[in-house]
Amino acid sequence: MRRHAEAEPVDAVVVGTGAGGGAVLGRLARAGLRVVALEAGPNHDPEDHVNDEAASGGLYWMQERLSGGSTPQAFGANNSGTGVGGSMLHWGAFVPRPDARDLRLFTETGQGRDWPFGLDELRPYLERVERFIGVSGPADYPWDPSRRYPLPPVPRNAPAQAMARACAALGIRATDAPAAVTSRPFAQEGGAERPACYNCGYCHQGCRNGAKAGTDNTFLPWAVAHGAEIRPGCFLHGVERDGQGRITAALYREDGVEKRQRCGALFLCAGGVETPRLLLHLGLGNSSGQVGRNYTAHVATQVWGTFETEMRPNKGYPSSLITEDMLRPGDADFAGGYLVQSLGIVPQTWADQVARGRGLWGRGLVDYLHRYNHVAGIGINGECLPCDENRLVLSDELDETGLPKPRISFGYSENERRLQAHAARFMTQLWEEAGASDIWVMERSAHTIGTCRMGPDADDAVVDPWGRSFDVPNLWICDNSVFPSAMPANPALTIMALGLRSAERFLRRS
Amino acid sequence: MFQATPTVPDAPTVFLLHFLGGSARAWREVVDRFGAAAQGVPLDLPGFGEDAAVRGYDVSAMADRVAESVRALAPRRWAVAGHSMGAKVAAMLARRAEDGEAGLAGLCGVITLAGSPPSPEPMAESRRESMMGWLSGPEAERRRHAEDYAEANAVALPPAARALVVEDVLRAAPEAWKAWLARGSREDCSARIGVLRTPALILAGEADEDLGPDAQRALMAPHFAQARLSVLPGAKHLLPLEAPEAVARQILAFLEAPPPAVPADYLALLGSEHTGARLRAALLARAAPDDPDYRPAALDEAGLATLRALMERVLPQPGPGRIDLAARLDQDLSEGPGDGWRHDTLPPDAEALRAALRTLDALSGDAGAFADLTADAQDALLARIAGGEGGPEAPGLLDGPQLKLWFGEVCAAAARLYVSHPAALARMGYGGVAAGGDGTPKGGFTRVGIGERDAWEPATPVESRP
Repeated sequence: MRRHAEAEPVDAVVVGTGAGGGAVLGRLARAGLRVVALEAGPNHDPEDHVNDEAASGGLYWMQERLSGGSTPQAFGANNSGTGVGGSMLHWGAFVPRPDARDLRLFTETGQGRDWPFGLDELRPYLERVERFIGVSGPADYPWDPSRRYPLPPVPRNAPAQAMARACAALGIRATDAPAAVTSRPFAQEGGAERPACYNCGYCHQGCRNGAKAGTDNTFLPWAVAHGAEIRPGCFLHGVERDGQGRITAALYREDGVEKRQRCGALFLCAGGVETPRLLLHLGLGNSSGQVGRNYTAHVATQVWGTFETEMRPNKGYPSSLITEDMLRPGDADFAGGYLVQSLGIVPQTWADQVARGRGLWGRGLVDYLHRYNHVAGIGINGECLPCDENRLVLSDELDETGLPKPRISFGYSENERRLQAHAARFMTQLWEEAGASDIWVMERSAHTIGTCRMGPDADDAVVDPWGRSFDVPNLWICDNSVFPSAMPANPALTIMALGLRSAERFLRRS
Repeated sequence: MFQATPTVPDAPTVFLLHFLGGSARAWREVVDRFGAAAQGVPLDLPGFGEDAAVRGYDVSAMADRVAESVRALAPRRWAVAGHSMGAKVAAMLARRAEDGEAGLAGLCGVITLAGSPPSPEPMAESRRESMMGWLSGPEAERRRHAEDYAEANAVALPPAARALVVEDVLRAAPEAWKAWLARGSREDCSARIGVLRTPALILAGEADEDLGPDAQRALMAPHFAQARLSVLPGAKHLLPLEAPEAVARQILAFLEAPPPAVPADYLALLGSEHTGARLRAALLARAAPDDPDYRPAALDEAGLATLRALMERVLPQPGPGRIDLAARLDQDLSEGPGDGWRHDTLPPDAEALRAALRTLDALSGDAGAFADLTADAQDALLARIAGGEGGPEAPGLLDGPQLKLWFGEVCAAAARLYVSHPAALARMGYGGVAAGGDGTPKGGFTRVGIGERDAWEPATPVESRP
C-alpha cells in the first residue's frame, strides 16, 4: 500500500470506509488522485470472523448512543459498524434498487420529500455498482423487466421456500432476492477472486470467505491497487480551515497520538449518526440548521411463525426471496410502501428479538427458544417520513473519544403506524397461508438515515444534489445521512452509487 | 475402613485419591465437612496407606484399583477427586468411564487438586533423583526426609496434619514411592486421556510451584471440555490438608450446581472440521462451570443474589445443571464493550441494573428481598413490571416506565446468554455451530430447504419439536 506523509497535502481525506467512503476512495484513486482514508476501527482478517453474535462485538460501533422517542431505535449490532469496511462488514447484502416512485414521493403524495433527481440519473451508477461488486439475482425481475444481474440467484433457504409457496397461493409476485453475495466464483476487479457463498448463514457476523461483497473485498482493494492509503484505528475529531473557510487539514487520533493530515478536500462518510455528530461537534456546515434533523429509519417489522417441518433458519443466505408488490398496495391508507423479504436468523439475534419484541419471559420464553429449528420469519423495509421530533442532537455526556454522545429521538408518526399495521396484516396472512402456527409480530426499525440531507436549496439542505456542503466548498458528505427520504430499498446500494456519483462530480470540478 | 454416612437423597458419591506418600486418611478433614451433601469415599492407592502391600503402580493399574471400588459401591451418581498423583489416576478413570467401561456409569464430575497432569509431570531432574532415595535409608534419615516433604509442600500445616503426612510417608512401600517418581509421574497419558467431556473443577494452590495455577492452566485444563480453574489463596501443594474447609466447600458447590452437561455427540460436532477454531474456543469457554464463589464486579453481593433470583424466574433452565446467568451478566457489564446504546431515560447499563435490583427488593413488601418472595409472588411482581404498572417514586429507584424498559433489556440479555451456551444449543438441535471450519474450502451447508438437513447437522431433540 502506498503511504502518504502527513505533511504532504493529499487531494482528499475520506473519513470512513463503508459503502460511501469505499466507493469514493476507489473512484478518486482510480482517477490518479492522492487519497487517504481514515477508519476509526481496525483492519479485520476475514478468517477471524466468528459464526457467533457475542464473539462478533468487534464489528459493531460500540461507543454508546442515547436512544429516545416513542419507538427508540437499537444501535450497536443493529445498524452501525466499525473497522476497514465499515457497516458493510456486517450488513445483510440485500440490494433491491430504489423504485422511481420513491424518489418523487412528495410529488406523488404530497408527503415526505422528493430527491433532487430521478431514478434515471441514479440507475447507471446502480448498475455499475452491481456489476462491480457482483450481485446475484433472478434472470427476470418481475417489477423491472429490463434489469439484468451479473450472477444467477443464491439458493432459496427454507424461509424463502415457505414465502414463495404462500405468495404463489395468494397471487403475489415473488422472486429470488438481489443479493450482494456470490452464487458462483466471481472475478473481482481490483482484488482476489471471490469464492461462492457456502450458505453458512452468518452474513451479519462478517463473511469468512469473501462471498459477501463488502467494501473490504471490493472497492477498498481496488482503491489500494490504485494508490490509495487506508489508515485503520484513526478517529477524526477536528479540521483546520483557512481564511475562506476551506478545510486544509484533517485532525485525528491514532493510538492516543494526535495527528494531522493536510488535504485539499474532506469526504465525510461516517454514517447517519457519526457524520452529523462530527458536524454538530465542530459547528461545521450547518447554516441551514438541518444537520441532525430529518432523522429517519426504515419501518422494519417482522412476522415469525412456527412450522411443523424443520426450517433451520440459520442456513443459507438469510433474505433469499423478495416481493415488491407492496411498494404501492392498492388498499394503502398511507404514503409510500414497503419491500417484503424472507428472513433467516441466527440464535442469539433471534433470542434477543423474542425476549424484547414478543415480551416472553419465564417458562414460555425457554420453551419457545427451544423451538428454534422450526421457526421462520418474513420482514419488511418500509418508507419512513421525516418529522420535527425525530432528530439527532448532542447530549452532555462524553464517550471515550471525548466527543459528546449523540442523543437520537425517533418515533413513528401516523403514516408509519398505518404502514406497519398494513404490513403486519399482509405478512400474517402470508404466514398463515404458508402453514405457520403461533404467529407473532415483531416491531422494529433499522438503518440511520437523513441527518444531512441533500437538496437544491442551501436554506433547507446540508449538501447540494452532488453531496457537496453548501457552507464549506471542499467538504463532501457521502453516506446515508444525505438521503432526502428513507425509501424502502436498503440503503447501501444507493450509498455506493452516490459515492461514485459524488466522486465523479468532484473529479470534474477539480 | 469405609463407613457409609446418611446423605440427602441423590447425593453424589465422591471417590477421593491421595498424593504421593499419602493415604485415604489425608481426606479426613475434607470428608467430615461434606456432611450429608455428599458421600465421601477416600481410597488408598496401591503401595500406600493400608494397601502398602498391594502392587500395581502404573497409572492404569491404579485406575483399575479405583474402578473396582466404584463397581463395588455402584453409586447412581459419582465423582472422582484426585490430589497431585491421584489426579492423573482420576483423569484416566474418567476416560474409561466416558468410553463406556462396564460398571462406571454415572460419572458426573472430576475434581483435580494440585493435579499431576496426564502428560509427564514438570519436576526438576535433580529433585526427582534425590527423592527417589528418600525411603531407602535408615529410619532416622527416612523420618527426616518425610518431615522435609511435609514442610516443603505446604505454606503452613497444623501439627496433626503434619504428623499424618510423616506417618503416611513412612508406611508407604518404598517401591511404590520410587515407581511413581521414576515412571508413573513420567508416563505420557495425554493422548489416551484426550479431552474429557465430564464437567471438571481444577483446584490449584496459589503458592504451589511445579503444579501451581500456571501449570494447571497449561497442562490440566486442555484435557477438559468443561473445566473451571479455581486458585486457593494461601495454600501450596497439600491442599486437602492445608485448606480442608475451602476444598470441601468448592467440591460441594461444584457438585451441587454442575454446569449443564453438553452431550457427547454435540461436543464431538464442536470438535469436528465443520467448526472453526475461534468459534470452538468461544463455545467451550462458555461451557466451563461457573465459579460458585463468583465475586460480583458491577453489583454487590446483595444485588447478585437478587439477580440470581430474577434469572430463575425470567429464564428457568430445564436442568440438570445451571448456567449462572446472573454472574455472567455481571461479568459482561463490568468487562464487556456494552451494546452500543441505551435508552435515554435509563442511567448507564450497570447503574440501571443496580437501581432496578434495588427497586425489585423495595417492591417485595414485607419479605424485604425479591429472593425471599415465593415464586408465585415473584412472577406476579414481574408481570406488573412488564406491564409498566408503576414503580416507587423514590430517589435511587427506577419508576414504572423505566422498570418496564429495563425488564425488556434484562430478559433479552438473559435469552442471548442462554442460547450462546452449547448445552442450550444442543437442546435446540442447533446445527449452525457446524456451518464451516477454517481454511479453504470451509464446508458449509448444501441442503438449505424446508425439512432438509446435511448429514452432520444434529437432529432436533423430541422435546424441542412443536
